[in-house]
Amino acid sequence: MPNMSLTQKLTEALAGGLQQIGQIKILTDHDLAPFVLVHLDDEDADFSSLNAHPNPDKAREIGLYTPDGDYRFTKGEMSLPGGWLLLLQSPGEVRQALDLFYPASLGLWAAWKDGSVRIQNLRDKLARQTGMYRHAANVSDVGAQELIQSVCGPSNKCVKKILWQLDENTPLDDSEASRFNGVVNNIAENSAIPLVCQEACNHFVAQARKKSKEEFEAKA
Amino acid sequence: MNFSSKLPPKPEAALLIVGHGSTENPDSSAPYFDHAAEIRKRGLFAEVHCCFWKEEPSMREALYMIDAEEVYIVPDFISEGYFTRDVIPRELELTGPTTQVHGKILHYCDPVGIHPSMTSLILQRTEEVAPEVPPEESTLFIVGHGTGLNKNSTKAIRDQVELIQTLPANRFASVQDTYMEEAPLISEWDQLAETPNVIVVPFFIADGLHSYQDIPVMLGFEKEEGKAASQKEVFRRNPYRLRDKTLYYSAAIGTEPLMADVILDQIATFDAQHVAHPETH
Repeated sequence: MPNMSLTQKLTEALAGGLQQIGQIKILTDHDLAPFVLVHLDDEDADFSSLNAHPNPDKAREIGLYTPDGDYRFTKGEMSLPGGWLLLLQSPGEVRQALDLFYPASLGLWAAWKDGSVRIQNLRDKLARQTGMYRHAANVSDVGAQELIQSVCGPSNKCVKKILWQLDENTPLDDSEASRFNGVVNNIAENSAIPLVCQEACNHFVAQARKKSKEEFEAKA
Repeated sequence: MNFSSKLPPKPEAALLIVGHGSTENPDSSAPYFDHAAEIRKRGLFAEVHCCFWKEEPSMREALYMIDAEEVYIVPDFISEGYFTRDVIPRELELTGPTTQVHGKILHYCDPVGIHPSMTSLILQRTEEVAPEVPPEESTLFIVGHGTGLNKNSTKAIRDQVELIQTLPANRFASVQDTYMEEAPLISEWDQLAETPNVIVVPFFIADGLHSYQDIPVMLGFEKEEGKAASQKEVFRRNPYRLRDKTLYYSAAIGTEPLMADVILDQIATFDAQHVAHPETH
């Protein structure tokens, strides 16, 4: 489906039974609107008790803070607050909301499915850093593997499926983080858009820089 | 003031606004989304998206969100420097004004802060923040961060000061560039200004600790231990009467809704410089 727009791909997936991305349920058979987005935890709630919004742009505000009031600067965090409904009119509006809840995830999923996603392994990612982050490249393999298990994966609240390795010949050590399939609650994969991670995020790079500094100081 | 950009519609192209973003301050990326929403509302582009250095989507992820083959990339940055010259080209694999990469045609525009139409925006902001204050009795300070590391960040402000000074319609008694960390220091505003009124416009894209707290402390109307970010009242208590002068303090220039027009103007400038007769081919 190379010539289809992302909105068309989403429309097709919704018609084919897609109903979930990250912590969000997408309902296509509800009376309230053609497309209803709701937090997975609120799926069985009385919808009249939730705050309903008709504007897809509201997604950014909803996803800005955790229920505890912390700033969610990584959107793959499993800390999306509940208590809301988005009542949307078209797949285009669903796409707009999803791009705010889980930025670029729809496009990455489509690219991953058709084999066009460009995966960058960690060593290449770290090697191309400049400025203060260039020191992140000095992190050891052991340190990098430890970081993956302390920064990535559902235990650390990131619910993305990691597509990258340390380098071409070094896979990630087996762990919950390396095994996670990007789908919350383990529902059938064709019912969900998995969140995929095509290269380490800048938060990870910042942590790698810290780790590298710790390793350097430990040697001194 | 008539301010609307004259950029013709580009119904086949996408606009990608690039911002810095923050892992600490949730207000940091709000202006970029506001600018994107405003431009989206005008229906000029097939798609309008944002991406960031410190937030998601990252620049590396951004192209996956875009269907259009032709993409205008506008750094929503206040000056040229490390990010616009090194980081953004590296992350988006740009090799010149126009780059063909991964099946897309990417046009890389200059950062918004260096566009001449920022001048009108600053003047508009002074009218909003200090209406009915006679410019002849006022000094306008444009405040930047200032650092020895990037001379371009101070150049963007000096250029704006010069542009305002040379405007025939300029009636300010004095227009000066000032900085947080290098001379002329904004903390010495009362000595730098000879007029009874002073208007201060922070030359930043987003409101954050610099505009909420650091500059107010330097100006003298907030204490060091003041409230943290998102305390926007500092912009709403004008005027401040201190050091025998009357001070009017503005929010960061990038929070001005008309910044959307500067983004569009920057695209029009790109087309004029790099794309031959885009409306006729």
